[in-house]
This record gives sequence, structure tokens and C-alpha cells, in this order.
Amino acid sequence: MANKDPLKVGALYSRTGVTSAIESSQRLGTLLAIEEINDHGGIDGRELVAIEYDPASDPSQFRHLAERLVAIDNVNVIFGCYMSSTLKAVTPIVEKYNRILFYATLYEGFEFSNNIIYTGAAPNQNSVQLADFMMSMFGGRVYLVGSDYIYPYESNRIMSDLVRQRPGGSIVAQRYVPLNASPKDFEGIVSEIKELRPDFIFSTVVGNATQHFYRAYAEAGLDPKSMPVASLTTSEVEVSQMGAAVAAGHFTAAPYFASIDSAENHRVLNRFRTRFGDETRPNACWEAAYFQVYLFANAMRSAGTDSVPVLMPQILESEFLAPQGRVRVEPNNHHTHLYPRIGRVNSKGDFAIVRASKNAVVPDPYLVTHSLGDWTLALETLKD
Amino acid sequence: MVKPRTPTRSKQCVVREAPQILRDLRSLRVCVFHPHDQDGQGLTRQLERIGCQVQAFWPPLPDLPEGVDVVFFALSPDMLSADFTRFHRDDAPPVIAVISYENPTLIEAVLRLGAIATVASPVRSFGLLSVLVLSRDWHNTVKKQQMRIAQLEAKLRGARQVAEAQEILCALHGISKEEAYHVIREQAMQKRVTAEEIARSIINANEILGVKNLRSQVP
Repeated sequence: MANKDPLKVGALYSRTGVTSAIESSQRLGTLLAIEEINDHGGIDGRELVAIEYDPASDPSQFRHLAERLVAIDNVNVIFGCYMSSTLKAVTPIVEKYNRILFYATLYEGFEFSNNIIYTGAAPNQNSVQLADFMMSMFGGRVYLVGSDYIYPYESNRIMSDLVRQRPGGSIVAQRYVPLNASPKDFEGIVSEIKELRPDFIFSTVVGNATQHFYRAYAEAGLDPKSMPVASLTTSEVEVSQMGAAVAAGHFTAAPYFASIDSAENHRVLNRFRTRFGDETRPNACWEAAYFQVYLFANAMRSAGTDSVPVLMPQILESEFLAPQGRVRVEPNNHHTHLYPRIGRVNSKGDFAIVRASKNAVVPDPYLVTHSLGDWTLALETLKD
Repeated sequence: MVKPRTPTRSKQCVVREAPQILRDLRSLRVCVFHPHDQDGQGLTRQLERIGCQVQAFWPPLPDLPEGVDVVFFALSPDMLSADFTRFHRDDAPPVIAVISYENPTLIEAVLRLGAIATVASPVRSFGLLSVLVLSRDWHNTVKKQQMRIAQLEAKLRGARQVAEAQEILCALHGISKEEAYHVIREQAMQKRVTAEEIARSIINANEILGVKNLRSQVP
């Protein structure tokens, strides 16, 4: 007789702590996919059951709870992690016990583990396109501001590298604030921006502190038309935290925006709103968290088991029609083929997509030197 | 001019450019001598993910292919008595040993191989990039130091010869050491050779002249 027992999977998304808002959106994306799959009879009749903990945006709790999921709850597959520091904490656990982690967040690259599937953007799928776009529209004098941890350091290195490739390009200053930065932390930064007048600001401020930076910028009377903020992490969630008036005119590069006008995206958004209402704002991390559950479920159907040695080869052959377009796992490096896009926040707080890649870009997480003007990465202009 | 400001709690640090040794990774030619098993495949694939040009062979080739920048060598117990001389030539690339044992017998072989670093088997993806970069950096440093040492040795030898030539000139012409040095420099400049070469000619000539002097002393 076929196994009809519920199938437990782990979910580690923080509902408290410095990145609670964005991780909560990832959690809801995950739960939506799980509910949809269960509504369609589960995986060959087996109901998916999420075992959830709140790791509170803290790497050591991530590590501890991942071990608990594996050793006590006995799950083979975990969905979760946002900051790369929390990914780093969970990696040794899934490697030690040979389990699988699905990681739905853009990050700075230079990772590969046999036990991890990366469904967020690598730098060659967002940073290059953002630098190219911002410098062609606004110029090459760039101010860097970020949260004080490893993702901003490496992202800024990549951005600086790209800026230096442009004649006359320069980094005018570089500042880091604590992860739990308060509005006060951005006062000096904004007045410095006012004095230095860069062409644009590259922000790698993450999490709930993001709103304080954009708000300080708006309160200082700076104008996004002449000196906008460009980011990889300011998504619809952070925009709704700061409000449309503060966010309007600033840019973000991501493979997904809720404003994508495709049948598949509309279907998923409708189902999400019916089920979860306005609990969160769909965004790129939410979308990756959503589609990666399907990558798992489809692979699981083909494999017939969630035993890692059988399941992993099936995941590595997966393709899925996600809200952003048809995504595919790259078997050589476990990252995902994604569609870079650039959005500008409009007066309603939605991202108007101004550039989009027609084709999925192959992930290249170990690229040290990115190049501006790589034609394979060229985006199509949708509107200016 | 802009006044430097330190915003509250914000931290300034400098983004540094990736050093050339990291930029070179995509053109790096890596030769892997490892059995074509799961471990060997894992090693080759991670090197390919990093973006290196990888060639894998087993058993190890008697001669290294042209233009190899780094070699990974699986030092399995059956390779302990292999001939490692091709890795010891002056122009040999750095060798990283892949080891599955850490006993004195094996480590003795690592030393004999001339490995600059080891990677533990089973090979993990994490750590390979740093070992690759550090090994090349260290290898380059050692090469530069070897060249510098050779230059310094030559210089020291030259200085000794110049001193000897000075003494010969002093004895022969009754001039001071400084004057003797001046004569050597003048000669070197006229003939467009180094002072060391002039010094050597003086020493050689003196040996021959010395013999003549002996004969002239015969009554």
C-alpha cells in the first residue's frame, strides 16, 4: 500500500527580530504553496505539513532550530533563511545530517553546498543590471550605505568594481550602520549625501531599518529625480513600511515585482489575497519562497521519496512556471535561472518595471569580476 | 571642501579592489590528478564552478601538460612510492595534495611531493577557493624570494671580487683602495661592462702575472 502519511517539512522564517517583515512574507509565500499543493491532493496523496519555528533573525537560533528540525522533528527538507549570516549558520547542519535547505533570498554569491538549493538572485542576476542601468541614467559618482554585515561588504565590492569600469566612475563615500539602526543613525549619512551630491546612492541597508534611511532621505528634502537610491533589498515589503510617498522614485533590481503583468502572476496574487489578505506585500523573496516549494513538490513526485540521494537529482532537473517566468535549477551550481528586472516605485507604492530581461540569466555565483555592458545581460527597455 | 563627518554609530571602511590573483581565477589552468570517483568529480566540479580551466587525469601523467598553473594530486596510499621529481623542477607549478590519511607515513609523502597545501578527502566545496588562492599567492612569494636570493648572492660574490681586485691594484700600483675602485669603475664604463666583470678580469690576469713575477725573481 502506498504511503499516505503526512510529509513533514521544516520552515525557518523569522517573525521577530531585525528582518521579521521580509521573512514573514517568505513564510506566507511558503504556506500559500503548501496549501495549494494540499488542496490538490498533496504529494501523491500525502499531505504536506510545515513544522515552523521563529529563529528571531538570529544566526545562532537558526542553527539551533535547524538542528532541532532535523534531529527531533526528523524533517528531510527545510525552507528558510534570509540574511546570508543565517544561511551560514544552517549550512553545517544540513551538511552534517545530509538534508536539503531551500534558500529563497538574493545574496552575495560564493556559496555552493550539495545540500542547498538557492532560488534567490546571485550578483550576476541583479547587481550588474542595476549598476548598468543606474550609471547610464544618472552617472558614475556613487554613495554606498549598508547594514554592517557580510552581504553589504561583498555587494559593495562588486558595485565598486562596476563603478570603476566606467570612465569617471567613483565611490564618493561608504558607510555602514548597525542591523538594528534607528532613524538617528541616518541623520549624519543623509547630511553627508546632501554635501557630496552623488549621482545615485547604492543602499544595502536591509530589514526593518530600511524605512528609516529612506524616510531620513525624504525628510532632508533630497530628490529621487536627480539623486535616487538604488537597492537590491528594498522590496514591496520595505516600501509599505516606509509608505509610498517616501519610496516613490527610488529603484530596485530583482527577478520579481508584484506588478509583473502575466497571467501566472495574476493567478498566484489572487489566490494569495483571497487566502492571506493584506498580511504582507508580495515581493521577490516571497515569490522565490513560493516557487521553491513547487520545485520540491514536483521533484518529490518524480522521486517518490524525500530521501536526499534520490530527491536531489530530481530537484536539479526541475523547471517551474513561476510568477516571474519559467525558472530552472542549474545542476552545476544549485542556483536558479532567473529574470533580472529593474523597477521604480510609483506614487501608489508599486514598482513600475522599467527594464526587464527577456531571457532567464544563468546563475554564476563564483564570478569575481563582473563586466558592464555584457550583452548577454542586456535588459529590454519597457519605459523610461 | 567637505568636512569629514562621523555619523552616529555609522562605520566607515574602504571597499578594496579584488586583487589580481582573484581576478585571474577564470583563466587559471588547473591540472587534477585524482581517480575519477565521486570525490574527484566533486573536486573538479567545484573548480569548474569557481570558473577555472580544469583538466583531470588518472593515473597521473609522467609529464605535466604545458602551461599548468596549479596541480591537485590525490596522494592515495598506493601513490606513496611514485616518482615526484617532475614537481620539483624550478618551473614546476604549486602542488596541492588531496589526502585521506594524516599519519606520518602519508605526511612524509606530502613533504616529498613538495606540496604547498593539503585538502582533506572527502573534498568539501567550502575551503577550496581559499586554498587555491593562498597556495598560488604563497608560491608566487616563494618564487620572488628565490629570485631575490639569487640576485643577492650574485651581488655578494661580485662585491667580494671587486674587493679582491682593489687589493691587487693597490699592491701593484701603490694606490689607495678608493683610487683602485675608481680605476675599476672607469674601466667598466669605458668597456660598457659591470665593475664585477672588470674585477674578475683583474683577478684572472693577476694569477697569470703572478706566475711571470715568480720567474723574474729567478737570479
